[in-house]
Amino acid sequence: MANGGTQRRKYRLQGAGLDLALPYLMLAPGLLIVLGVLVYPLWDGLRASTKAYRYGSVVADVGMQNYIQLWSDPQFLNALWVTVKFVALSVTFEAILGFALALFCLREFRGIRLLRTILIIPMVITPVVVAIVFRLIYASDAGMLTAISEWMGAGQVQILGSPVKAFIGLVVLDVWEWTPLMFLILLAGLQSLPHEPFEAARVDGAGNWRVFADLTFPMMRPVLAIAIVLRTIDAFGTFDQVFVLTRGGPGEATRLVSIYGYDTAFKFQQTGYAAALFVTIGLVVLALAFSAVRLLRRVDAS
Amino acid sequence: MSSVLYQGVVKNYGALNVLRSLDLAVPDHMFLALLGPSGCGKTTALRILAGLDMPSAGKLFIGEREVTRLQPRDRDIAMVFQSYALYPQMTVGENIGYPLWIRSMPDGERRTKIAEVAAVLEISHLLDRRPRQLSGGQRQRVALARAIVRDPAAFLMDEPLSNLDARLRLTMRGEIKRLCQRLGATTLYVTHDQVEALTMADFVAVMHAGELQQMAPPGDIYDRPANRFVATFVGNPPMNILPVALAEQGIAIGGTLVSIPAARLAACRVAQVIEIGLRPEDMSVSAPGAPNALPGEIYVVEPMGNETLVNVRIGGGNVSVRAGRDFRGAVGANIAVTFDVSNACFFNSAGLTAVHRVNSDGE
Repeated sequence: MANGGTQRRKYRLQGAGLDLALPYLMLAPGLLIVLGVLVYPLWDGLRASTKAYRYGSVVADVGMQNYIQLWSDPQFLNALWVTVKFVALSVTFEAILGFALALFCLREFRGIRLLRTILIIPMVITPVVVAIVFRLIYASDAGMLTAISEWMGAGQVQILGSPVKAFIGLVVLDVWEWTPLMFLILLAGLQSLPHEPFEAARVDGAGNWRVFADLTFPMMRPVLAIAIVLRTIDAFGTFDQVFVLTRGGPGEATRLVSIYGYDTAFKFQQTGYAAALFVTIGLVVLALAFSAVRLLRRVDAS
Repeated sequence: MSSVLYQGVVKNYGALNVLRSLDLAVPDHMFLALLGPSGCGKTTALRILAGLDMPSAGKLFIGEREVTRLQPRDRDIAMVFQSYALYPQMTVGENIGYPLWIRSMPDGERRTKIAEVAAVLEISHLLDRRPRQLSGGQRQRVALARAIVRDPAAFLMDEPLSNLDARLRLTMRGEIKRLCQRLGATTLYVTHDQVEALTMADFVAVMHAGELQQMAPPGDIYDRPANRFVATFVGNPPMNILPVALAEQGIAIGGTLVSIPAARLAACRVAQVIEIGLRPEDMSVSAPGAPNALPGEIYVVEPMGNETLVNVRIGGGNVSVRAGRDFRGAVGANIAVTFDVSNACFFNSAGLTAVHRVNSDGE
């Protein structure tokens, strides 16, 4: 009897039974990793956002209290406003610059390959390194801008010490670092456009500007939208550059939500409140992405 | 409408010589087909006229005006592309009206024009659609409408039918011909399809390896090819070419002596011909042993429905012969091929036609 049982089991794992089980067996390791590093932390974060912590341990279950408190926290609202300004300015400039560079690099001339390669370098440098370099440029005592200014006979340049200039300096850094991504996506988009309609337009009588306005731009709209959505989502999470460059200062001038969330969690040890903050930001970004995708679909369908 | 003139136009891509000194005059109102195999330079010639490519040397004239260095938009031409090149994000109406819109034609006038042209091409019901919602044939019509909506100096068409299926191509062939005749438009039509060239054009310019081989009316291209290339490129199946040797009273083809009239033999002798060219329909099959017939054996028989193509092996070479639809013959069977030598043309060692066929109107 026992013999017959093992026989049957063996038989199952070799034939149709194995065929059925195999996909799940193959998926299992990957699934476990995803569960461990993605699903569980997400769940744990959601749970933490409903609790109050003190010195790293849970002291009370506060339900939605953390979420409600966020909207009357002037520091959070300010951080959100700074983030929105930062994202809007950076992404706008990156899109315009990236598009212009992509149009320029579409033409074939000597050294174009080298130029295209050089243009994407900022993107591949480690963000922290970029921030350190920009700190060296901005520093008021021995920075590059100060050196140039003193050489020209003017005084020290204060950038990171002034709220407005520090914010602009941060936007400049982001534009420098991420315009290449826009450039790369838009260049690929431009290169994939069919070229016959452009020739037809030239024969039909269109000059360069009309070709751009009537053909290039409308045909590039979906690609442009994707690039902007990607960059927007990414820019919402900007952390390391600010952390190195200003730590959110002076005052709260460059304190993005990510920095505020970090401070809340690790400086002020308000783990639950920070979790609620990040979940909220995650939802905001998710909503943005969804509406962008819907917008895209509508553009595509019309 | 205007005439078009190519004057010694050369185009090189690096070391590659795509056009070698093209001279071509297209009179006003003429429909000219540029015919040749792929890579012969016909499309390059058209693109240079459109201004999409710059010639390496030479001059171009449209009417009295030299246009060699002008931008495409300043040349006053309209072009139909192989892939139609419609503007994907514009409606059909906007596509058709674009050449007018760019020239700031007032809205009302433009709308009238679009409606007019759309009616001619029977696409009035499609004006609000977008190109990707159209079939290939409809896109073709839109591309044509966009070309004729203005009254340009010349129409350029770059293989406009090659993306259509065989049946539709047949219909559009007739339609484009009618349209061009109606408009009396100077048209340059690039094609690799000899049937299109012969059926549609007033004149056919055959090109090969960047050089113009012959420019003549379709009938002459077929009956009086200027050289071996034109003779074999035009015609389906192509003209049969066999080596000949001149003898006392006639010509020897593959060891068989065929007597031909003295005057023709003398002409051949003067021209030092080395090959004879015969169209499949100018030859016929007969029983072996007939006088003046070339003996051979059947290589393959291809019934076409309305006729039968018989491929006969004659002394080392193969010839295609058009036979009646009821022809029956077994592969390998002995057969003979006869022809009227007045229908033959002869080539010299340079590949030029040295002695033409005798025309029905006498020569």
